[in-house]
Amino acid sequence: MARTEAFFDTGLRADGRDPSQLRKISCKVGAFKQADGSAYIEQGKTKILATVYGPQEIRGGKSKVLHDRALINCQFSMAVFCTSERRNRPRGDRKTMELNSMLQQTYEAAIRVELFPRSQIDIFVEVLQADGGVASAAINAATLALIDAGVPMKDYVCACSAAMVDDFPFLDLSHLEEIVVGSMVTFACLPRSKQIVLSEMSGRLHLDYLDKVMDAALKGCEDVFHIMDSIVRSQVAHMAAAMG
Amino acid sequence: MLKTKVFFKKTKRGSVLKVVREHYLRNDIYCGSSGCRHCQENENFKPVLMPDSISKSDLVPLPHYIIPDTNVVLHQISILESPVIHNVIILSTVLQEVRNKSPPAYKRLRDLLANENKRFYIFVNEHHFETYVEQEPGEEDNDRNDRAIRRACFWYQEHLTSVPGKRKRDPNITIVLLTDDRDNREAAIRDGIKAYSTSEYVESLKGHPELQDLVAKIGTCIFIDNKKSVFPDHLPASVVHDGIKQKKYLQGAFQASRENYLEGFVNIEGMEKPVLIQGLSHLNRAVHDDIVAVELLPQNQWSAPSGIVLEEKVDDQGDAVEENEVGEPKDHLSEAQPTGKVVGIIKRKWRHYCGILQPSIIKDRNMHLFIPAERRIPKIRIETRQAETLSKQRIVVAIDSWPRNSRYPLGHFVRALGEVGDKATENEVLLLEHDIPHSHFSEAVLACLPKLPWAIREEDIEKREDLRHLVICSVDPPGCTDIDDALHCRELTNGNLEVGVHIADVTHFIRPGTAIDQEAAARGTTVYLVDNRIDMVPELLSSNLCSLRGNEERFAFSVIWEVNKKAEILSTHFCKSIICSKAALTYEHAQLKIDDSRLNDEVTCSLRRLNSLAKILKKQRMDKGALILASPEIRFEVDSETHDPIDVEVKQLRETNSMVEEFMLLANISVAKKILEDFPECAVLRRHPPPPNANFDPLIKAAKSRGFTIRIDSGKGLADSLDAAVVPDNPYFNTMLRIVATRCMMQAVYFSTGTVQEEDFYHYGLAAPIYTHFTSPIRRYADILVHRLLAASIGSDSTYSHLLDKHTVQHLCNNLNYRHRMALYAGRASAQLHTRLFFKDRIEQQEGYVLFVRKNALVILIPKYGLEGNLFLNRDCEGGTSVQFQFNEEEPSQTCGKVTFRLFDKVIVQISINASNVQHQKMVLKLVHPTVPGFSVPSQDLSKGDVSVSSSEEMAKKRKKKS
Amino acid sequence: MTLSEGEKKYILDSVNDDCRIDGRQRNNYRLMQVETDVIDHANGSARLRIGETEVLVCVKAELETPKPETPDRGAIQFFIDCSANASPQFAGRGGNELASDIQSCLDRAFSSPSVLDYTALCVERGHFSWTLFVDILILQCGGNLYDAVSLGVKAALYNTVIAKVAVKFLADNKPEVEVSSDPSKGFKLDVTNVPCFMTFLRIGNHCVLDPSLEEESCGQGSLVVGITVQGIVTHVRKVGPGSFHPTSMEDALNTANAIGPLIHMQLLSKLKEETADKRGFLR
Repeated sequence: MARTEAFFDTGLRADGRDPSQLRKISCKVGAFKQADGSAYIEQGKTKILATVYGPQEIRGGKSKVLHDRALINCQFSMAVFCTSERRNRPRGDRKTMELNSMLQQTYEAAIRVELFPRSQIDIFVEVLQADGGVASAAINAATLALIDAGVPMKDYVCACSAAMVDDFPFLDLSHLEEIVVGSMVTFACLPRSKQIVLSEMSGRLHLDYLDKVMDAALKGCEDVFHIMDSIVRSQVAHMAAAMG
Repeated sequence: MLKTKVFFKKTKRGSVLKVVREHYLRNDIYCGSSGCRHCQENENFKPVLMPDSISKSDLVPLPHYIIPDTNVVLHQISILESPVIHNVIILSTVLQEVRNKSPPAYKRLRDLLANENKRFYIFVNEHHFETYVEQEPGEEDNDRNDRAIRRACFWYQEHLTSVPGKRKRDPNITIVLLTDDRDNREAAIRDGIKAYSTSEYVESLKGHPELQDLVAKIGTCIFIDNKKSVFPDHLPASVVHDGIKQKKYLQGAFQASRENYLEGFVNIEGMEKPVLIQGLSHLNRAVHDDIVAVELLPQNQWSAPSGIVLEEKVDDQGDAVEENEVGEPKDHLSEAQPTGKVVGIIKRKWRHYCGILQPSIIKDRNMHLFIPAERRIPKIRIETRQAETLSKQRIVVAIDSWPRNSRYPLGHFVRALGEVGDKATENEVLLLEHDIPHSHFSEAVLACLPKLPWAIREEDIEKREDLRHLVICSVDPPGCTDIDDALHCRELTNGNLEVGVHIADVTHFIRPGTAIDQEAAARGTTVYLVDNRIDMVPELLSSNLCSLRGNEERFAFSVIWEVNKKAEILSTHFCKSIICSKAALTYEHAQLKIDDSRLNDEVTCSLRRLNSLAKILKKQRMDKGALILASPEIRFEVDSETHDPIDVEVKQLRETNSMVEEFMLLANISVAKKILEDFPECAVLRRHPPPPNANFDPLIKAAKSRGFTIRIDSGKGLADSLDAAVVPDNPYFNTMLRIVATRCMMQAVYFSTGTVQEEDFYHYGLAAPIYTHFTSPIRRYADILVHRLLAASIGSDSTYSHLLDKHTVQHLCNNLNYRHRMALYAGRASAQLHTRLFFKDRIEQQEGYVLFVRKNALVILIPKYGLEGNLFLNRDCEGGTSVQFQFNEEEPSQTCGKVTFRLFDKVIVQISINASNVQHQKMVLKLVHPTVPGFSVPSQDLSKGDVSVSSSEEMAKKRKKKS
Repeated sequence: MTLSEGEKKYILDSVNDDCRIDGRQRNNYRLMQVETDVIDHANGSARLRIGETEVLVCVKAELETPKPETPDRGAIQFFIDCSANASPQFAGRGGNELASDIQSCLDRAFSSPSVLDYTALCVERGHFSWTLFVDILILQCGGNLYDAVSLGVKAALYNTVIAKVAVKFLADNKPEVEVSSDPSKGFKLDVTNVPCFMTFLRIGNHCVLDPSLEEESCGQGSLVVGITVQGIVTHVRKVGPGSFHPTSMEDALNTANAIGPLIHMQLLSKLKEETADKRGFLR
């Protein structure tokens, strides 16, 4: 018991948040000019950059062409300096491969791929700094980049992590918290239709807690949605004003 | 608002990391003061602090709230616990520091915070947007924290007195900062904050002089005027730390000698022999159990334990000490062992000590010496104004400090327990000295209990297997009210047998993380004293709702096997169930049923089947090399009115004892397998490491003295050679040998499987590859953990993150191991207490055997009472003549004239109690037979023998009366 | 980037006229922007932009055992990742060749003992020294990567703070380090002599400095010159296809000697002017 008590003995989490409070989210849509779409997001100390190229011609072999829909190609990298302890390489290890396929599956479900047969959409995600919730922040960043690129999607894809600490669901865990809690879930959903497009779990969580933690995570996704939506709207309004 | 904390950190692997953490500041943290004009409109605001109408303090005429700093909470918590003190604000800075520095103080603080009447309020100043202070470059942590505390005090003062929207001040309430740090106090006063030291404040409280005794004396040197230092300096922590890394100094736990106050040992990891410390100046204020740093002396100064008993003079009143207050010069340098001196204290393990006051002979002096009950603790100098009243009582005292110019440590009075010699008081002492949590269960814990009348509901039945139709019975010692196991055995149609072990389903009532769960985890075990039981869980559960009483429907956790007639297990099934025990039997009763061939009822048949299976199981176990070890267990017959013991006897073991034991072992092993399979990283198991060969030396020697060889190569070898060691003319020989063998063994311990190598899971005593405890959840917390794991693995209950974290589980196990050890010692101490009470006005003559031969004593075992006592040799006899015994260490033996005592020799001794020392009444043995002129005492003739005869007649009468 | 012949001709002419397509003269740099401390976890970091080229450089200091041949010196190691964010061409292993070219250039430039005081990185001779891991992430390619990378490296080293450590000797003379957690007690590096690269791209008969991506695509060979703040040339390397006449090489070195110090001064003044208001990528 001692450990939970230790980081929850004032009724606030170690960094001063409520159990259901997200970390501060800041983002910038259209961070780079070269790409078709790009976005940068900060969730607490987790900093992620996403760029989108396409829809465009299939690169490389024709063998990859899909006749009824677009090919989604993801590359997930974690900069060697993104963690406190330096990583050996930016990609190709198990963790990034896992996140890569997670990203791919999520967006295959969310992008209206059927509109772009025989073409390719690239989603590149670069983690500049990792402090917990890398998977969810990466998804949020990619969503913004896709919006920036004007790629048609069913809805925003919003993601949030959560874990059970005693009987409290904690949302959006920092790296320190991720280490302490036994298991963590990450959910991504389409907030308007309430469809879950990603559910990922680490460690062992008893089935009885799943509902509770899922509800919390989905609530977190919704909060993320409102934040992202208002940022997108204000930036679009800003741009429109600049264009006259 | 958001701040960032940045710092460098070295990891365990030696790399240096830069760590960056976010720190959120909030504006929704409230002051907690009732009637606060700023906070009360917020819906989440819950007032905790309520100012008194008038102040009790002379210093602070206004009603006020107290803000203690970290050191006040750490050292003066007894003051904060006093009922006089309430309305205290605990800053999160303080809470964090206390948590990091002292877990016991932290727990006491949490208890205070949970107590509504105390009105303690946590103010999260570290996350409040107006009270957070950032560490300045180069600022030390302590200075920063002090600044944070002053900032919070200042904020409170402004917040409470300003009236919203007006510039006017409302001086109705104020803030008092308690700190014993002068610099901090002065800085606070400069900021306009009222700041006092604990003693200043306590002295100012009207009508509570008794509180002054409780103030810890930190950093005060009241006794010393121009006297030179008694002790060498302790080295600063950093020097000690480096010295240990450089192996210049050694680190270990200091163990003071029980016999000689000028001697002690330090056990060093990796060293075969402990380091001996001799003499006051070398001991250098180390107190028993402290973690110390020692420096070895050059080898030519090494010494040997003096082997003599040296007690501090009782009449020592001054603080002066002779420079050369060291033990006797030692003559046997051949036995010299590493000897050293204490150069620094790494961690004090001071606790509260029980003992008695030795009032100062000078009238009207407030300084007195306190003599702890534990001999290994030095006397403690305390200040009290109640010496008169306290002198006849057992009291509790805490050590606060030990300045180098004080002969004794300085402490303060904590509380009085009651009259010396009173049984309730002595029991209390016993519990305190063994660190056994024994307070009443708190309100929070009792609130977790189910409401009465309690009844089984429909939905409970749905989730459980209904086994109410089975003929289940329990077999326990007489008077047992916490029945946690019951059994059944029936024949199946296919000719096989179905055996069920049903264990009280305690985890149904004790849910993880609740107050009752935390309390049970802290207690770890129920403690059995001779006349008292300290429950791990409240009585409603232990003796009622969980207890599998006869003819009552109860929830159980069942293990059901199908076995064939050869006791081979064909299948195992675990389930949560509802049972209804048909009979709650005693061992004796069950035995009678089995033996009475006229009986053929279902319970009896079930018992007979169980009994015959148990015999096979036992044989199988023995063949695998399980050990049968012996330790004399005694039972007191206690007078029902006075609770004084009226008879002592060795517990009798019947077949039924063994029968129940076999099935419990079987259940435990089955469960261990199941949980290890499903939770390889975090299963709670119990292991018993094989003892190192050197441990067996006394056993081998003892057996050799009678011409037997003990094999220690394996458990099986040991078991076989113990079985073979039988002397026809001394039937007790084998038992004694087993007692000696028991003492060679290691402690069995609980552990989390993720933290130990798999090959070390082995249980040596039971010769089982894995083992756990499942069968006594009412009285052992380990079993509760095991129940939860098993319930999760069969899908009938959920897991929670702590259960699956191997480190948390290991942490819990460490506490359980400690509690079990202390419970065992407390049980023994209780038996000794009752032995003393039993022999108080009695002198008896009994047959005994020499169990060990020591340098200055024979350890005598008295089978009738299962007692063990020292027969001191070479002591000054009453007549003044001193008889010399020759000690032969090799054999071992003690010889005086023609008489030689060897191991296992039969003797006759006289038992009495020496009450000359109030605190330490001792059982005294005197030799009667064989006769050693000038040493032995004459056998009691008939007229003297009356004493014991009459008393035993009396006993017989009493017993009749009772029945 | 592929250009049409007409476009190429236009660029060639513009260089001849000393009025490049974006209006610069041949020796002019584009606008340089730098921000340090963008990655909190690192000992030092900088994000540097020249025109559309953008790099992120991070320095992490790790305690290691020094090499036996240099027991009293620390070391520096470079790693470059051409992120796919910069161009889909870099996806997978696409950026590796470019990365290793730049890396070898940096290795060469920093191999001289006068570049950094490597002995200051030694904590305990033969036992502990700091290795600086300088990791470079290419975020956008707008031409002139070499110069941008070298300037970014210098800025990140300028920003680096290394923890203060003390060494204690244990028994059997085994040393152990103790770390002071307070960053304000850490030490900074002297980056005065850290060189930066100047890339001369030959277009026709002239060399241009700080070429854009368009200019690069019609270049006929480039020369990377390492130069210090005093104008001392530390090394010269010809990269890419194409060739140089000795006289144009000489001209280039003279230009480097004249302009190099200015570039250094420009970077340093931008670093010193940096305000406390750091917004990193949100800017």
